[in-house]
Order: sequence, then structure tokens, then C-alpha cells
Amino acid sequence: MSKNNGKNAKGDFEFPQPARKQTFAQMIYDPYDKTFFGRTGKNWGQLMIFYTVFYIILAALFTICMQGLLSSIDDNQPKWQLKESLIGTNPGLGFRPLSEQTERGSVIEFDGKKPAESDYWISLINDFLKDYNHTEGTPKKHCDYSQTHRPTDVCLVDTAAFGSCSPDKNYGYKSNEPCIFLKLNKIFGWVPDVYESPQSGMPQELQKVINDTKVEERQQIWVSCNGHFGKDKENFQNISYYPSQGFPIYYYPYLNQPGYLSPLVAVQFKSPPKGIMMDVECRAWAKNVIYSGSARDRMGSVTFQIIVD
Amino acid sequence: MALRSDYEHGRADSYRVATVIATDDDNRTADGHYKSRRKMPAKAAKKENLDDLKQELDIDHHKISPEELYQRFQTHPENGLSHAKAKENLERDGPNALTPPKQTPEWVKFCKNLFGGFAMLLWIGAILCFVAYSIQASTSEEPADDNLYLGIVLSAVVIVTGIFSYYQESKSSKIMESFKNMVPQFATVIREGEKLTLRAEDLVLGDVVEVKFGDRIPADIRIIEARTFKVDNSSLTGESEPQSRGAEFTHENPLETKNLAFFSTNAVEGTAKGVVISCGDHTVMGRIAGLASGLDTGETPIAKEIHHFIHLITGVAVFLGVTFFVIAFILGYHWLDAVIFLIGIIVANVPEGLLATVTVCLTLTAKRMASKNCLVKNLEAVETLGSTSTICSDKTGTLTQNRMTVAHMWFDNQIIEADTTEDQSGVQYDRTSPGFKALSRIATLCNRAEFKGGQDGVPVLKKEVSGDASEAALLKCMELALGDVMNIRKRNKKIAEVPFNSTNKYQVSIHETEDSGDPRFLLVMKGAPERILERCSTIFINGKEKVLDEEMKEAFNNAYMELGGLGERVLGFCDFMLPSDKYPSGFKFNTDDINFPIDNLRFVGLMSMIDPPRAAVPDAVAKCRSAGIKVIMVTGDHPITAKAIAKSVGIISEGNETVEDIAQRLNIPVSEVNPREAKAAVVHGAELRDVSSDQLDEILRYHTEIVFARTSPQQKLIIVEGCQRMGAIVAVTGDGVNDSPALKKADIGVAMGIAGSDVSKQAADMILLDDNFASIVTGVEEGRLIFDNLKKSIAYTLTSNIPEISPFLAFILCDIPLPLGTVTILCIDLGTDMIPAISLAYEQAESDIMKRQPRDPYRDNLVNRRLISMAYGQIGMIQAAAGFFVYFVIMAENGFLPMKLFGIRKMWDSKAVNDLTDSYGQEWTYRDRKTLEYTCHTAFFISIVVVQWADLIICKTRRNSIFQQGMRNWALNFGLVFETVLAAFLSYCPGMEKGLRMYPLKLVWWFPAIPFALAIFIYDETRRFYLRRNPGGWLEQETYY
Repeated sequence: MSKNNGKNAKGDFEFPQPARKQTFAQMIYDPYDKTFFGRTGKNWGQLMIFYTVFYIILAALFTICMQGLLSSIDDNQPKWQLKESLIGTNPGLGFRPLSEQTERGSVIEFDGKKPAESDYWISLINDFLKDYNHTEGTPKKHCDYSQTHRPTDVCLVDTAAFGSCSPDKNYGYKSNEPCIFLKLNKIFGWVPDVYESPQSGMPQELQKVINDTKVEERQQIWVSCNGHFGKDKENFQNISYYPSQGFPIYYYPYLNQPGYLSPLVAVQFKSPPKGIMMDVECRAWAKNVIYSGSARDRMGSVTFQIIVD
Repeated sequence: MALRSDYEHGRADSYRVATVIATDDDNRTADGHYKSRRKMPAKAAKKENLDDLKQELDIDHHKISPEELYQRFQTHPENGLSHAKAKENLERDGPNALTPPKQTPEWVKFCKNLFGGFAMLLWIGAILCFVAYSIQASTSEEPADDNLYLGIVLSAVVIVTGIFSYYQESKSSKIMESFKNMVPQFATVIREGEKLTLRAEDLVLGDVVEVKFGDRIPADIRIIEARTFKVDNSSLTGESEPQSRGAEFTHENPLETKNLAFFSTNAVEGTAKGVVISCGDHTVMGRIAGLASGLDTGETPIAKEIHHFIHLITGVAVFLGVTFFVIAFILGYHWLDAVIFLIGIIVANVPEGLLATVTVCLTLTAKRMASKNCLVKNLEAVETLGSTSTICSDKTGTLTQNRMTVAHMWFDNQIIEADTTEDQSGVQYDRTSPGFKALSRIATLCNRAEFKGGQDGVPVLKKEVSGDASEAALLKCMELALGDVMNIRKRNKKIAEVPFNSTNKYQVSIHETEDSGDPRFLLVMKGAPERILERCSTIFINGKEKVLDEEMKEAFNNAYMELGGLGERVLGFCDFMLPSDKYPSGFKFNTDDINFPIDNLRFVGLMSMIDPPRAAVPDAVAKCRSAGIKVIMVTGDHPITAKAIAKSVGIISEGNETVEDIAQRLNIPVSEVNPREAKAAVVHGAELRDVSSDQLDEILRYHTEIVFARTSPQQKLIIVEGCQRMGAIVAVTGDGVNDSPALKKADIGVAMGIAGSDVSKQAADMILLDDNFASIVTGVEEGRLIFDNLKKSIAYTLTSNIPEISPFLAFILCDIPLPLGTVTILCIDLGTDMIPAISLAYEQAESDIMKRQPRDPYRDNLVNRRLISMAYGQIGMIQAAAGFFVYFVIMAENGFLPMKLFGIRKMWDSKAVNDLTDSYGQEWTYRDRKTLEYTCHTAFFISIVVVQWADLIICKTRRNSIFQQGMRNWALNFGLVFETVLAAFLSYCPGMEKGLRMYPLKLVWWFPAIPFALAIFIYDETRRFYLRRNPGGWLEQETYY
């Protein structure tokens, strides 16, 4: 009745048996089969060759792709800029001194009486300002508001204009009047749109400063520092800004010019409370700098903490 | 196994002998090994219980006198129990129903799903997240809630997948419920002299019940009155012959004696009245059911494979996690950072969606199988049939039609073959010869069977018949040959009748003839051929009556032997025209004191009957053969019948001989034949009793075609255990209660949906709705297909693990900003990868899966070294390269050239740094950097989707080219579209940057992964090309999973 039945050869139904049990030592090296971890030397060799060839080819493919990527990228300007780039058009603020130990976060803690503590911050600032002090090599212009400005020009940042935040005064760290240097983040091709008159919402002090500034010198991205969330107002009464309370417009736009250095504003806290953490928030004021103070979504501003013991 | 002598327990060839084990079965074979591979002597209490169940039925209710019986149960044969007593008994003994097997409590099942598999690993991940968050929360004022968020997501993932698999599990167990709640049974009971109809559950000890044909016996009863009462004990003992039952005590053995009828067997004829002697779990049936539920079944092969796989993946995850935890410490990371790395590595390593995928794939297959009449009770059993290497099949009902059918006739000195096929497509024979006419007249008239009413549209063979199986066979045969049998009987009115009884072994009836010109009465007789022949002096050959000489007797004997040798039940037929002078019309025939001749009759012919094989079975058996599956027949039936059926369905194939056949051919005694020469074997249950387990192993090993006849439930269990000892994965089919222990013990028990008893259905893992062996073949095919497809599905899913883990490793080792976040990993594992992975379950087989051997359960694993090597070592690496390339593209195009990235991590992730310089001197705030980073995560995610397109296409086949396989799997094609649309949605839908930190990508950022997708496709096509060119070559050994 059925046709295929005769075909089955002898031993067709030998059932598989479990592999013989191995000890741990045999698993590593089995003298019977001459296998290390279940493979003979030859077997391992073949496998290694296969994978070596495979990964060499994969690496070659990856390299070709990377070469393609790098060749499509300009050395001097980013491929995507401003709105096209994820950096966007809204620069944030940066501050110095910033500890290179990221665990310390943005806390600046020192005691002016203890040289080891204040020297740490002083040396950080010295390192930061080194580039500003060594201006030789690239030609820099002494810019002012009256000059017509070409985009390729690099304006000099005058480190002598920081007043009592000068190196010979140890940036105020020995006298418990610390100076913090603020800088606006560089964004390739970004041009500021400044406020030429005080705005509602600006701190009173800043409004006053703007009113006191000559109209032709109001071409600045204003800066103000305050207690975070408006707390501890009394601690922020006595703050000085050098050379002025803003970044002059002639430093912009940043176009990756050789030798370009960000303009700085030195902020000195003349009467910080003792032993209490002072939570500082500094923000930049310009029509095209959007501010957000939330911790997760901070824009157009920076926070840091000062503790003077 | 030692047994008491035959003397005590009945015939040596009876199934009954082995139902009883005299010595304690300690679950060890004669040589001291444990009988079962899996069952270890675990709990002493449980074992005792089991032994108790295996003990002999120790009852004397059948031995005592009826009066003693009534006294014992305080009952009365006419009035029955009093209501009060019945109530008391019911309260004492509980309802008359089998206790369902102990169910695992639902909450335990739920917890298993919630904490089993990968869930534990993910829980650890979630807990670490919460720990990290709470530490961050306590140390900083504004903690990043990333970890809290991730912890919640991980917990949700575990809980949702847990609920999902619990739901799937409970859904498949509901299939069983539908069988449980069948029509409630009723029983007719006499209480306080009143006849009541009660639900069978309400019966109590001592109740007097009445049963009639067609009823199911509601409890074990001692019969006190019977009228031609017959029961079908097949569900209990496997014997398909109805057994007559009466009030007299005939045998010591309760199963043997005539005055007991057992719970759940069927009354096929007559009526009886009896006293209930045991109820519920104490019935014979209850004991066997208990034996079955006491057996440990162990894990299904697929469960083993999945555990193996989970161990493998968990091992890798724990190893990598701990290694990098330590490395992170050595590199000087903060311990909290190290913990966060650990979470990342766990999340990346665990294929979160995979177990759900496997469940869905199995469910899909289970549904497909259900539509092909294989109902799967236990999802995991879907695959078990696929790995089956031995099928122990029952004969009756599975291989055969379970319907006696006339197979041969002998008249005019020749054997005529009748049509036994289910659809009457077989041979036809001459129905006009006088010999046939005479024979058919006897078969029609000397027959008490009748069609049951209300079956007008039903084909003749399918009609239900009341009466004896042989008579039903004759009735159907005659209905087919002559047409309206009832009408013929009407025209030839029955005047008198002597029914069949076991002493006479014949049945006689006297009829008026339809020929109105002939006043003579016709006497027709049928019965055991030799008895009939004794009563005949002439024989009707070719229309002429001849003297029954030695020559004719010889011819008769040859025909009888030949038909008997075919395993058929042979009946002889003779008739006689009573002379009208002696028996004028109106003659009063006396059937008690016979006043008519029953000797010197005219012999007409023989008819032989068999339960013929189902039409599809020979083909199915052949398919099993070519699929490398050994088919063993295990039956309670007679060896000759069993052998005949085995031969006709191909279980014993043409040209293969048993030891006995060889002995007969060579004309030497059986003992001189070398058993190894015989490929086939027919083993008698009685022989099996004396066989040690080693000898049984030898039988199973050296004979490829085996029939076990006259086996008992215990022996069936032993055979199954024997096969399992040899390393086979065993499927057992069965329908009776007697089969349930073997069904339970088997790797996959297959019960019959129509003929099967509830107990067997309960013990089984799968139910054949059409009772057809051929459906098993479908099951095997589906099982093998799903195993292959699960491999593909797992290979697909595991591949994306490498591009998920490698970003973390690079993050730790190279100090680059994180290229792929944990949330995006979850989006891949639980989002884009799910539908494509499931769609692989719909993939067509690459080649004829029924032409290859069953898988080797020890070596051919679901997830093996080669699969890991392919998924992790090769394709995964290409995918990781694609992801990193996209990452570098986006970083470079936004200003961070690749070299700038190395070592930048600390500054990058520091919130204090609000002015990180890129390669073009631009300064990035923390917020902008993170936007860039999350855009990279999104792009990495999209690139994984892109390379997974190629991976999905290459996973469709393991050996063939995609050009051979085609893209006709529409579920898979949908999967490709689905994952793409989902990925685009996640990237572009507004609000995603807040919820999942997924940012919209520039269109060009979709493309960098494409060369790598092509590389995957080309590499794998090439690999499979070599695989096909060099079968068994090195590449196959290392990469064919």
C-alpha cells in the first residue's frame, strides 16, 4: 500500500544520545580530542582567519565610508550652520574659572586666607587667559564702535581693561572678592541683534547702566548676574563688571577666524556672604538671545555657585 | 517487573494481567536504573501515593452475595437508598466525579511569568535604576529623572510582557475547559422506591441505578439484574469487543468478572440494574486517571531550548555587565556611573521582546494547527511534534476507522474482496451471481442490527447502528449492495429467531419468503464458521447445490485460514428451505425447545470483517518514515489483527519479515532464527511481561518496525519509557482511559477528539479533532516549520543586540558621547523589531522538511554556537558599524569631527560645562549638546532599522537564496513597512523629543546606513551561495545555524 517503506536502510532509527559529560578541565583542554574550549588548534586557526578576513573587510568598508564623510566636510566651516545645525542660533554663556574636575560641577569654593585654595582658581584663570595674553603671531585689531567692521577682522581682547580683576590683584581671590569671567558661546556666523535701550524685565541696575552708556556704545550684548530665582538679593548688591557690562558687537560674527578670541566680561562679587553658597545666574540680553532658566532646558544664561569660606 | 502467575489473574494473553502489579514498582528497571529519564525519586510521600495507585484493585464487592451487598450499603434492590442515607453518603464521600488534576494556583502562574526568563534580569535593571535615582535625588537638588523614567519603563516592560504571556497561557488552558464542561450526565436512580433522574455527580455508594444501551455507566456498579446487557470497555481496557455483563460472579479479578460494570464505559446493548459500589476517584477509571496525573512529565523540548537560550543570553549579559562594571571602576568612574553602565548593558543585552515573539509565533502555529484538526492544549507542545522521533500509535480509531466493515466474502469457492474504503471508492464485485444472492439473503435476514432513526441524509457507512459491531458491518455491507435492507426484511417476515449465544455460537432465524408462490419457510443461520460447517451437508456453488465432500471442506478450510490470517473476523453462513409438508404456513416454531432442523443445512459462504485502516493512514505512515520517524503500533488487539493492519498501513512494510515469518519461510523453529535478521517484530503483551528493560531496548533498537499487541496500560507506559531511554522523543496517541498514563508520560500525548475519553484528553498535550493519524503528520510538519522559523526569528532579533551593546562599550572605553540610549534600545526591542520577528513565523519552508531526520535534541539546539556567531560576530558587527558611521556623520556635520569625540565624555556630560568647544571653535551649551546627542541616538536607531531590513531579508532563508525563496511572505513585507513607518513616526512625531528624546532627522541621515545594509545582503547571499555549493563544508559547520 505504501511505496516508500522499503527504502529504509539498517540503523535508520539510531536515536541521538547526549554528549559525554565533560569536566571543567576537559572543557578547557580535552586531551582525548586535543581541543581547547571544544575546538582543535587547526579549528581555532581557521576560525581566526575567517574572522580576521571578515573584520578586515568590514574595517575597510567602514574606512571607505569615513573617508567619504571626511572628504565631504570643510576644514574651516561646519557643514550645517546656525538654524541648519543643531547648535541653533541661541548662544549660551560660559564662565571661568571652571574646574577641570567635573565632579566639582560649577561650584567655586575657596578661602582667601588659604593660599592653596585660592591659588587653584587663580591658576585656572591664568591658564584660561594665557591665549589672551599671547597675542603675537596673528594680527589683531583694536576695535571700537566707530570703526566699520569687516567680518574677517579679529578684534583684540584687552586683558588690561579688567580693572580690579587683573592678575596682579589675583583676580580678587586672595581678598575674598572673586572675579568670574563670562563669555558668550561662539556660534559660527551668528550676528547679534542688540537692545539699544533698556527693556522691561531687565534688572534695575542694568537699565541704569544702559541709560548711562553713550548711545553709540550701546551696541552691546548686555550681561547681568543675579541670584538664581531672584533669591538672596542683598548678596548681589555689590557687583562690578569690567570692562563694560556687555560684549561689544564688533567681535561678531565668529567665522572661525584664525586667532579669534571671545570677548570677556569680568564680574567681581565684592561682598560675598561668608560660608554660604551664593547661587549665581548670569544671562545675556539681546533680541536674538532667548532666555530659559530651567535646569533642564537652560538657554541664554549660565549658573554657578560661589562659596567663600 | 515481576508478576504473579497467570492462574490468579486470568488468561496469559489478556491485557488484564499487566494492569496489576504485585510487587511494588520502585520506578527502577530490573538492573536498577531509573525507568524514566526524568523522574527522579523526589518526594517520598508522592511516590507512596503513586504506588498505591499502581496496586491491584482490592475489592470484593463482586464476590459477596447480593444480600450481603445490600446489607453492606444499607440499600434495597427494589427501593434503593433512603434520601437521608443518600444525603449522608454524599456528604461523606463527596460528589461522584473525578477530581481534576491539581492546578497550579493562578497567582503562582502569574508570578512565574512575571519573574521567569529574562524578567529577573530586567527587574534587577529596574531596581538599579531606582537605586541610582534615589541616590541622585538625595545628593542633588535637581536630579536628572532619566533613571526614574527608565526604571518605570523597565518595570512596565516586565509587567506587560508578563501579563501578555500569562494571558496566552490561560487562553490555551481554556481550550481544555471547553472539553470539561460537556453535556452534564444524568443517571436513573431508585431511591425510596421512586425512580429519579439525577445528575451523575449526585450518585452515592449503594444507589440502585438503571442503565440501558447508549448510556454511559455513571459509576462502578455491581450488576444485580441484566437483560442482554453489553458494555464497551474499550476506553478502560482497549478491547474493542463489547463484553456481555450479567448478575453472575464469574471471576476473581474484578476487571474480568461479569457482574461489574465500570464508570465511564459505555452500555452498548440491553439494560441492567446495579448497585453503585464505588464513586469518583475510587472507581477504576479514577485510579488510572490518578496514576496519570501522578506522572511527572518534565519539560517540553522547546521549553528546554528556550531555557538553554535564556541561560546563554543571561550568561553573556551578566558577564559583560560585571566585566564592564569592574572596568569602569578601574578606569576611575564614580560607582554610580558604573551602576548606570551596568543598567545600560543589561538593557542592551536582553532581547526584551523576544519571549513575547516566541509566544506569538507558537500561538500562530497553534491556531494554524487547530484549523488542521490538531488542537494544542499546551503551547509548547506545538513544537514537540516536530522533534518527535518515535510515534507510538494506538490502532483502533487512529489508524483504523473504528468501524467493523466487511472486507472479504467467500462464495462459489472464491474469495471476493469487498470495498472497505471510507468513501466507497474501492473495488466493486459482481452482485448478480447466485452465490452472492444467497449469501446476501442470509446476511440481510439473519441480522438483528438496525439503523437508528433520523439519519436520512447520512451516508450508509456513517450511519449509526444499534446492535453488535459485526452485525452492523453486515447490515451496512448489505445496504450498500442491495439497497433498502429494512424493506427486504419486511418482505421476508421473520417468524422465529434463536439469538446468538456463546455456547451455540450461531444465530438462526426463520422467515417467510417474498416469493409468494413458494409457501416454504426459509431458515437462515450464521455463526462461527467451523460450527456452521459442522451443521451442513451440502454446499451451494455456482448456483448448484453440491455434496459437502472432503475437497470442499479443504477449500473451506483454506479460505477460512486465509481470511483468519488477515486478522479478520470470519462468519459462516448457511440456509435451508424448510419443506412445506412438514412446516406448513402457520407452523408454530419453538425457539426454546427447537422443533425445526438445524443440521444438514446448505452451506453458502463466509464473510469476514475487519476494522479497516483509514484511507489517509498509509500515506501518513510513509511520510513519517521518510521524515525519519519510527512508527510503533501499540494495541490491545489480537496480534494477528494488529499485524494485518500494520501491514496494510505500512507500519510493517512490504518485504519485511518478522522472526516468525522467517521461521516459517525457512521452515525452522523460531528459536533458531537470528532476531537481528528480522526488521519487523510483533511483540505480544505476554512476552513483554517477561522481558527485562535491556531486552526491551534491544527490541526497540534492532527492529525498525514494531507492533505491540495485547498490551496493557502499564506496558504501554513501559514501551514509552523504553523509547525515551533510547533517546527518542516520543509521541503517543490514545483514546482510552487506559492510555492516559502513557499519554502523560510521553513527550507529547495525543488524544482523540471524537472517541477519546475525558481522562485521556486531560492527560494529553494535543487533541486530534478528527481522530485521524494523518493529522499527526500535519502536526509534525508544522512543528518542524515553527522550529526553523523560530531560529530565524531569534537570529533576527539577536542580531540587533550588537549594535545595542557596542555603543555602551564605546562610551565606557573610548569616552565618547553615548551613541545610543537605553530608551531607544527599548524602542528597537519592543517596537520596530517585534512585528518583523513575528512575521518570520509565517515563512514558508525552504525545502521539504518532511524529507529530513528529526532534529537531534542534544545537538541541534534552537540557539547554537553558529547562530550566535552569525548574529553577534558577523551581521551584528556590520550593523554596529552602520550605527557608528551614522553617529560620526551627524557629529562631524554638526562640528564634532571624529577625533574630537574621543575622551570628551566627561566634559560632554557635565552640566557645569556650558561652553564645550567643537572642531570649528563653536561652543555648545549643555542643552544643545544633548540635543545633538539625542539626535545621534535617533539616527543610530534609524540606522539599525535600515540594516534590520537587510537582516530580515537574509533571515528568511538559512540555505536558499532569497531569489529562490521569493518575497511572498506578506506578513513579513508588512513588517518591513511597519518598522519603517514606526521609526519615522518616533523620529518625526512632535512631542517625541520630550517623551522619548527622539529628534527629527534630516532625510540625508537615513542614507549612511544603506551601504551597510547592502553589505549585509551581499555578504549573506554569498555565504549561502557557498553553503549550497559546498554542503557540509567548513562554512556550513561554522555558520549554518
